[in-house]
Amino acid sequence: MSAIGAKPAAGAAMDMPSTIAGIILLLVIIGATYFMVGPGLMFMALIGIIIGGLAIAFGVHFVPVGGAPAAMGQAPGIATGVAMLAAGAGLAGLFGGAWAAEQGLVVAVITGAVGGGLMMAITCMFVTFIYVYGMGIPCASGKVAKDPITGDTQPEFKSQGTEGHGLPFVSYVGGVIGGLLGGGGGTLIYIMLLDVYKEALPNMMQALPAQVLPIAVSLAGIFAIGVFLVNSVLTAYNITGTIEGPHDPKFKRFPRALVASAVASALCGMVAILIVAM
Amino acid sequence: MTVKVEVIEGGVPHNTILAAGLVASLVLIYLTYANVLTGTQLFSFFGGLGAIAAIVWGSHAIKHLCSYGIGTGVPSAGMMAFGSGVIAMLFATKFGVAAPIVAVVLAAIIGAILGFLSNNVLNMRIPVMIQSLIELAIIGSLVMMGFAAMMTGSFEFSPLVAGTISILGLSLPSYQASFIGGGLIAVAFMLGGIAIQHPFNACLGPNWTQDRMLMLAQECGFLSMIAVAVMSMALINIAAALVSVIVALVGWYYTYTRYIELSKRDAADWLDAKPIPELEGH
Amino acid sequence: MESIAFGIGITALAGALATVAGAAENTESDIGSQGDPNSQVQLAPQMGYLHRIFNKAIAGEPPAYALWICLGAGIAWAFMAMQINPILAIVLGSALAVFIQGVYATTAYLGRTASLAKFGQPVFIDVLKSMTTVTMAHAFVAIFTTVTMCHLINAALGHPFPLPLLGLVWGLALGAAGSATGNPFYGKERQYQSQKFGAGVPIAASGNIVRYAEAGERNSLDNGWFSAKLGGPASGLCFGLIVFLEIWRTVLFEHVGAGWGAIIVGIIIILIFTVIDRYIEVWARKNYGPYPKASEEGS
Repeated sequence: MSAIGAKPAAGAAMDMPSTIAGIILLLVIIGATYFMVGPGLMFMALIGIIIGGLAIAFGVHFVPVGGAPAAMGQAPGIATGVAMLAAGAGLAGLFGGAWAAEQGLVVAVITGAVGGGLMMAITCMFVTFIYVYGMGIPCASGKVAKDPITGDTQPEFKSQGTEGHGLPFVSYVGGVIGGLLGGGGGTLIYIMLLDVYKEALPNMMQALPAQVLPIAVSLAGIFAIGVFLVNSVLTAYNITGTIEGPHDPKFKRFPRALVASAVASALCGMVAILIVAM
Repeated sequence: MTVKVEVIEGGVPHNTILAAGLVASLVLIYLTYANVLTGTQLFSFFGGLGAIAAIVWGSHAIKHLCSYGIGTGVPSAGMMAFGSGVIAMLFATKFGVAAPIVAVVLAAIIGAILGFLSNNVLNMRIPVMIQSLIELAIIGSLVMMGFAAMMTGSFEFSPLVAGTISILGLSLPSYQASFIGGGLIAVAFMLGGIAIQHPFNACLGPNWTQDRMLMLAQECGFLSMIAVAVMSMALINIAAALVSVIVALVGWYYTYTRYIELSKRDAADWLDAKPIPELEGH
Repeated sequence: MESIAFGIGITALAGALATVAGAAENTESDIGSQGDPNSQVQLAPQMGYLHRIFNKAIAGEPPAYALWICLGAGIAWAFMAMQINPILAIVLGSALAVFIQGVYATTAYLGRTASLAKFGQPVFIDVLKSMTTVTMAHAFVAIFTTVTMCHLINAALGHPFPLPLLGLVWGLALGAAGSATGNPFYGKERQYQSQKFGAGVPIAASGNIVRYAEAGERNSLDNGWFSAKLGGPASGLCFGLIVFLEIWRTVLFEHVGAGWGAIIVGIIIILIFTVIDRYIEVWARKNYGPYPKASEEGS
């Protein structure tokens, strides 16, 4: 990590002064929330939302995305936008996690994680299926000479004039891990907000908890989706479009995405909690 | 995206569109308050018009941002706008009549922080990033508020969670049949998210012209308004919903035909069932 | 026991609907040419290759499908809240969502092609008229089946999310799964059919998509015809399996071990798919073998 001065284009270096400013901002937001709502359910919810956001941001770095070149077999990865693919997997996980919400926090979050991972596992397997049986193209990475997990050599399976294609096994595993983290993170944010709203809305709206449940579910759901999209777009900005997976050198950029995501999630979480706290 | 985007030259300056869009959107959303003053719901459609003003501004804000080489796709900027905008909008609805102003202020703060994070922590170093993300967050919240006002007749919190359900012919209040409880807020979210980035995304190219893109932005806005008006039939009285539908249909038809004319003006050629023209050298 | 049997029946139906939805989604996005392969349709005129392919640039498939399905679900919800029969409500919702999708498709084609005027790419009105209705038809199938699936999940299986929110979630997942599976097949196999089979498109050939094909000049219906043979069913199977397995493991195992049963089954399924993927990858390496050295390859 070197702190070079302002660069004209997005570089891989971490800008230390801004990062420190970001961390200070994070602490200010956490402190302000503690000041306004005191320790208890709402404050723990904010911490949970930050952790969920961090999980999402970290997870999106694992997902192998090749963009437009991947659609032509010119680059490895999945031929979709990174923010949206991660959001698809994360929301599929959120679906499962929301269903398991009444079984407790731990079970729900892990269910959500498994849901997201399952979606990525099936999708990535079908991507490999199409490449191998539909297009006759084996999987090859353009960034490493040997697959870090299986030890398979890559360069001789790369067709001429391309940067690699398909999903080498490390990219597949990366995709599944990304789905796990995204689904788990999204579910965590949802459950935290759901608990806060279930607790506070009956008071605020002078109604019975059972009546208010649809509002709590919808509010928590749309907030979770909003925070998820903000986090995945910020991470997409960090990755600048395409990444092959955890073995890609771009993966090492994740620390600054974690800082950015923590601040963004804290901010959005604080506003979401203050809706019922103020 | 392999298309190169150039910096805006000529046409209406971005800051003029910014000011016009912000003022128009706020005024039109506030006009829905006439519902409260007159005790009807007939003025709900002004919310949709306010959302359209914000969408027009938003399409130009995205063009402004992307002309500096953002590196990733255009739709992400739209999703970022709405992800941050929906949070600001929901918080602002607690403040009664001041809701639109509070939404603008809060969205500006959220957008500024997100811009700082993108530009400085993530090292994107795009000159207009912070300003653009502030604008996009404000636009997201205004579009959401406009659509919410159109569907429920008001931009305050209680009408957004109020709804009726009829059981055996009796109308009973139910939170489940409301704008938020029924999940219609998610539809407003996606409608706005796609409408805001489509005009720039669809007119992308070397022969981009500003008036064509802005006309497309209005068309996308009125098209979304048609859908919102149909959905509002479940939440407001049928007369007000019909007013909204008619305003939306008329507006959409006009902007759509104008957009087709402008495309005809700009296109290289307008052929019907003709073969591919031969270019020299290919 | 009976409620599990009922749940499994609904799960199977949801899985079947999802399979149809995935296949229709892929064919629709290939006929309209949406998503990442569309960048080639956009690039071709700039490299001097004019064409008659529909250029439907409406964001990527995940957000676009999130919108169509969320919209169909929202309008269906509104009609159901007005006491209209649920099936009629879903049909009406899907119809209005398809109308909006069609309008977006036409504005995208007109906008992108008009902005390529510098390169001489004309706007073909007959392409606009004939392709739009076909993509709308496939989109209707995709939207209707997915909204019905969401309605079943909400009404029959008791998921807490309201219908529009489910529509957003599953629309995004449908777009992501369908685009991941179908895009490379359309992009490489069909758009660049003239390139060598069994290898990626070399960077030097970017933009040189096939424009004159089996009978006359290629249009998007020809592309759809081809990709519906493998890309479509594969996308359908992918999304169908995602929906089916996700719901199946919950319905059957959520009460086993206080929720941990479903988690363990999920992990086992992930491991099974990992093994299958690894098998396919090794099979390709063994049976296709490495590429010959560059000096032996044609240019």
